[in-house]
Amino acid sequence: MTRVRVLMSLAAVAVGIGLWFALTAPPDALQGEYARLLGIHPPSMWVAFLAFGVTALGSIMWLIKKTDRWDRLASSSVEVGVIFTAIGLFTGMVWGQAVWGTPWDWQDPRLMSTLVMFFVYLGYIALRNAIDDPTVRARRSAILGAIAVVQVPLVYFSVNLFRTLHQTQSIRPDGSTMPDEMLLAMAVNMVAFTILYIALVVARIEVAKVEAENAREEAVAGEAVRPPRLSEVEDV
Amino acid sequence: MSFWRQALEIARVDLTVEQRVGSTLRITLPFAVVALIVFPLALGLQLGVISAIGVGVFWALGILYGMQVALRQSATDGRERRDLHALLGVDPAARFTGRVISGGVLMVGFLLVLLGAMTVLFDPLLPEGAWPVLLLSTLLVAIGLTELATLAGEVTSGLSNRSVLASLIVAPLALPLIIGASQSVGALERDTSILPWILLLIASDLALAVAGVGLAQPLEEATR
Amino acid sequence: MEPVAHFDKAGVSLGGRPVLRGLDLIVAPREIVGISGPNGSGKTTLIRTAATLTTPDRGSVTILGKDTRGRDLGATRRSIGMIGHSPGLIGELTLGENLDHVARLAGIERARVGRALDVVGLGEVAGRRAEASSFGMRRRVEIARLLLTKPRLLLLDEAASGLDEAARQLIDALVESVCAREGACIVVSHDRAHLDGLCTRVTSLAGGSLEGSSA
Repeated sequence: MTRVRVLMSLAAVAVGIGLWFALTAPPDALQGEYARLLGIHPPSMWVAFLAFGVTALGSIMWLIKKTDRWDRLASSSVEVGVIFTAIGLFTGMVWGQAVWGTPWDWQDPRLMSTLVMFFVYLGYIALRNAIDDPTVRARRSAILGAIAVVQVPLVYFSVNLFRTLHQTQSIRPDGSTMPDEMLLAMAVNMVAFTILYIALVVARIEVAKVEAENAREEAVAGEAVRPPRLSEVEDV
Repeated sequence: MSFWRQALEIARVDLTVEQRVGSTLRITLPFAVVALIVFPLALGLQLGVISAIGVGVFWALGILYGMQVALRQSATDGRERRDLHALLGVDPAARFTGRVISGGVLMVGFLLVLLGAMTVLFDPLLPEGAWPVLLLSTLLVAIGLTELATLAGEVTSGLSNRSVLASLIVAPLALPLIIGASQSVGALERDTSILPWILLLIASDLALAVAGVGLAQPLEEATR
Repeated sequence: MEPVAHFDKAGVSLGGRPVLRGLDLIVAPREIVGISGPNGSGKTTLIRTAATLTTPDRGSVTILGKDTRGRDLGATRRSIGMIGHSPGLIGELTLGENLDHVARLAGIERARVGRALDVVGLGEVAGRRAEASSFGMRRRVEIARLLLTKPRLLLLDEAASGLDEAARQLIDALVESVCAREGACIVVSHDRAHLDGLCTRVTSLAGGSLEGSSA
């Protein structure tokens, strides 16, 4: 738990610094104050992709090694990843509405891939919640994680292919009109959010370890079944 | 017994059961056709719009209802059946392949009938040479969707909310199939090559086949 | 002679909870081991572990010379026959079609299917759908299946439960035929009298382990 406290403290400091950079940077000439979302949106999306990449790695490693730690890593990373994905999608829609006049860009492969991953990993969490047996849960979610690894790149590729048919937006939120201070704020927040991701995943893994320990200490299943009290049958 | 003989035997029995139960023919297909009827009514019966969106509606409903074909109850094995397959030495990959073959046959039939119904109801505007492309895309989508839904069905096997959970898993991952299928006809309208879209469909089908066969053993262990 | 089944301090957990704990059991050829025990004591888990359908997470289980934690269990599994709580028949197929399906999957000569159905007394009702057949009839199809596959290790989990006397005798005959081929049987039942009459050795399961056995 000391490790978790240290990481959380580090993350709090890093996010605080990142927030300071984002709030003190000058506004953008075209996007105004909305450019400050550079400090949240790209870092959230980066963490989302990182989280799901780690889940994919954890899933494949569990299928190979079949050790609990890979399952804990994969599942903890998904939970954190889903949160950051939601933040990234929401801030992206706010930003898109302000800058493009529309909250959603159907032709952006990164957006579409992210949205697909969000639903796939919501399904992953729903699947885990539906299974009690830890080994069955680990195996089935690892298989889903591995399937997603195969399909999600195809999702990205297919949307990218689709996009080549249409002209993309001429003004992009991460375009080169950004002042250097704003780009620095984005870079600092990328690091800060990564530290926050690591802290949250480590904390979640510790909780998962405690949950697993509690399950193991229970008595042998059959010992809870007692002989019936036959002499009391008539008294019911 | 050889891999392909086991796969074909599993497929044969699946199709025999489906012929007797008939959930695809009697329930899923009529429901999908009813859904086709909902669209023109919802759009206020604007004939020009209906003709323009016909193929798109076919793909959307084909994917959404097609999932239910692959996830049909008759293709679900209970624990006793899985145990029996394991003890008979049935290769899990052969089991997956057999399921995909039987599901694929039903899916192709389902989509072709739905395509016919859409053509009659929507009178779609199709560019020259669209029909062979539409039929080829339908075949490739049928294969990919069956593979995806079979995998999702296995992963959610035995769970109480299986069909909904499996559908939640399939729908987002079916995106390459939707885009490849819709754009293959769109390419004809734009007078551009259909090849990238067909290759996308083939790549998706192959990736899912590899995933299905490669993950068959852990899937079998996970569902015992 | 090599044991047919050997549990060496085997531990199995299900749902994160230990069900079998430090279980030792050796089943020699021609032995019929009976196992009784209260509800929830792990009898079914023991049967499924012997069938290689559940892998021990502690200790080891060796079936017909093969460690069940290894890969490539296909050949071992084809030498195991199991009757579980409920018959695993496909309801929409007839009794005969169910057995024919098994024969095709196992690469067994299909001409033997009719003979097996006759032996178990289902020759004249083979065309009846499984979902329209009684539990006893579906159980007899399972017995017919085992007559076809001729396992070396036979596992029976409450197999005689709910059966008439004729079907029970059929199961006893099946057990004897397995032993005659140098195979062995593990029989789980609540019916202690049946076990005492059938088995060469009877033991009981409690606390996840086997208690002292009676021969």
